[in-house]
Amino acid sequence: MSNDTPETRDKSGRFLSRAAEKAHDLHTVSDEGIHPMAKVLFGWTEAKNIGAIMFWGVGALGAALIVLDVFIQRHEYFGFANWTGFYGLYGFACFTFVVLMGWPLGNLLRRGENYYGDAGGPPADVDPEMPLPPESAQPTYEGDD
Amino acid sequence: MPAFLTALNPGWLMILAGVVAIFLPMRRVRQGITIAAPLLGIALLVMADQNVNHLTASVMGLDLVLYRVDGLSFVFGLAFLLAALLNSIYAWHTDNRLQDGMALAYAGAAIAAAFSADLMTLFIFWEITAVTSVFMVLAAGTRAAYFASMRYLAIQVLSGVLLLAGACYVYNNTGSLGMKAFVSLREPGAMLIFIALGIKAAFPFMHNWLQDSYPKASVVGAVVLSAFTTKLAVYAFIRMFPGQDALIWIGAVMTVFPVFFAVIENDLRKVLAYSLNNQVGFMICAIGLGSAGVGNALALNGATAHAFVHIIYKGLLFMSMGAVLYRTGTTKASELGGLYRSMPWTALFCIIGAMSISAFPLFSGFVAKSLTMSAVSREGLTVVWLMLLFASAGVMEHSGIKIPYFAFFGHDSGRRVKEAPFNMLLAMGMGAFICIAVGIPAIVPGLGYEWLYNLLPYREEAMSYQPFTFDHILTQMQLLVLATFAFIVLKRFGLYPPERPGTILDTDWAYRKIGFGLAQWMGTVWGKVGPAMTAVFLGISSRAYERIEAAFSPRGELARGALTGAMAIWTAALLGLVLLLAFVTVG
Repeated sequence: MSNDTPETRDKSGRFLSRAAEKAHDLHTVSDEGIHPMAKVLFGWTEAKNIGAIMFWGVGALGAALIVLDVFIQRHEYFGFANWTGFYGLYGFACFTFVVLMGWPLGNLLRRGENYYGDAGGPPADVDPEMPLPPESAQPTYEGDD
Repeated sequence: MPAFLTALNPGWLMILAGVVAIFLPMRRVRQGITIAAPLLGIALLVMADQNVNHLTASVMGLDLVLYRVDGLSFVFGLAFLLAALLNSIYAWHTDNRLQDGMALAYAGAAIAAAFSADLMTLFIFWEITAVTSVFMVLAAGTRAAYFASMRYLAIQVLSGVLLLAGACYVYNNTGSLGMKAFVSLREPGAMLIFIALGIKAAFPFMHNWLQDSYPKASVVGAVVLSAFTTKLAVYAFIRMFPGQDALIWIGAVMTVFPVFFAVIENDLRKVLAYSLNNQVGFMICAIGLGSAGVGNALALNGATAHAFVHIIYKGLLFMSMGAVLYRTGTTKASELGGLYRSMPWTALFCIIGAMSISAFPLFSGFVAKSLTMSAVSREGLTVVWLMLLFASAGVMEHSGIKIPYFAFFGHDSGRRVKEAPFNMLLAMGMGAFICIAVGIPAIVPGLGYEWLYNLLPYREEAMSYQPFTFDHILTQMQLLVLATFAFIVLKRFGLYPPERPGTILDTDWAYRKIGFGLAQWMGTVWGKVGPAMTAVFLGISSRAYERIEAAFSPRGELARGALTGAMAIWTAALLGLVLLLAFVTVG
């Protein structure tokens, strides 16, 4: 930041750091094209540290459900299903297994987009006034980051 | 009610309205018909007496029952009519006569098939569903859709032909075409009908027509397709093969294998197609429980309830992905993300559909799937039960999390589009309403889940079942919350495989690559061998002709004097030989 730009103050009179402001702008999506309901319904997903909040929040909820299981006498038809936390641990294990199998299976079964020679555009009944996709929407590799 | 109305099969009404719609150029009038027809159909169905043959016919000595309603067909008919109504609202923004009419006729054929009580009538409407539904794929107008629709049609018609062959065997053996439950697959015709139904239900290795065609259909077409064909097959299985042991394992495998394909598939409509397979697996598995020819009342209730709620929430999920496709032109996960900013309502309805299919308590999937899971555990089928529980975690992965997360959240694609048109939102809202209304406890007796349980074919068994027990809610929440936690952990530590564009090979590779390659190779070989063989034949025949001509024609060898002389000599020589032999033998 150069020295010739005047410092700005916020309402409480503190100086605002321009660099921080710019950095903040970088990952705050502009209001352009944003539906007013988006903030109401899903604004919370933009919260700072949402990743950590979800991680600890859902983790704690899962742990609470397992702890609750300790105090409950369940009556299952299969003996092993009565073990404390059986459903939770089984769900966690199955989910993890399925997702991790995605790595080898993807390498084994994935071919080019036009493998069968019939790749093409969208169907005829899409929005005729559809905007062109932004550059950032070109094929990206979600999960790489 | 006038007599002709009581005898009017709602399915026939829909087909008739569909045919009219095809020729009706006035857009709003046509669309009015597509909405009025299912509404009228629902009214007709609700007023129809059950377990009565409303319309029968005798054609060429065959006794046909064209319209009969009972507890089972009522639920399927009602679900089909509701789906048709939502589909018509969803299609309000389009102006496509063929698609409007064919969608209505397709729904009508499925309804008429569900209300027919003999195999011949079933076969006729079975084939009409095939022929009308293919227009949903063709409506996309792309090259890929055209080829997929031809493969689709071939497989669907094959299913119909097998059904007809099976019906002929049954008629030949029993002298009746009535739809009865088979006790054994060894009965004449049973195996043929089993395979015919299996194709439509998308059994493993017969499933590719579904993943091939649905994601290539038009925006509206995919929504229409998701409701009818496979669930009609489920209905027919409940009717004809309750308690067939084979179905238990086929169903269990069906629930498990699509999970692995869904996790690596990039096209979200194709993920939904695999998810459809997985859900139908639960129903098929439930039908197989119990004694052959009878089934298990709790499980058959489960299959029926599951079909009802599945038609609604799968339609809702396809609608939400259709809205995304309509506004962005793609449903590829690798090109989407962050769309909640532009389409928050669509995102909300999609999440409701996702929570319903994942069977969260208070959503419709929970009250339906619980019946099947309880029935499997009561029969003591440990491995099957573990497979279904595995598949439940799998559903949470691909439909519960993957669909909403990669379309509406996750990495922001930067796409800023308009929210879905109002009619789409209305249809999705109605679907979401049903998902919640059917899934909540019966605070008012007779409403909530009790409304659905009241409709089920084994009503007393259904009403005595209690889905909202503390144990049940706790275990289901454990499964789902810990599965969600697994997703968060895998994402956080970078272990979740990235969404990459590409084609995922499935067993259709066998006929789309090897089969097609073989056919092409045979064509090439024939193209070369054919002319070569023609040339050889021509050569041989012309040579033969030349030889014959050279010998027998007026200018030929035989006509020449020299040969006449030679003949005389030969004759003399032969005579001499004969004389010599005669002397020798006599002497």
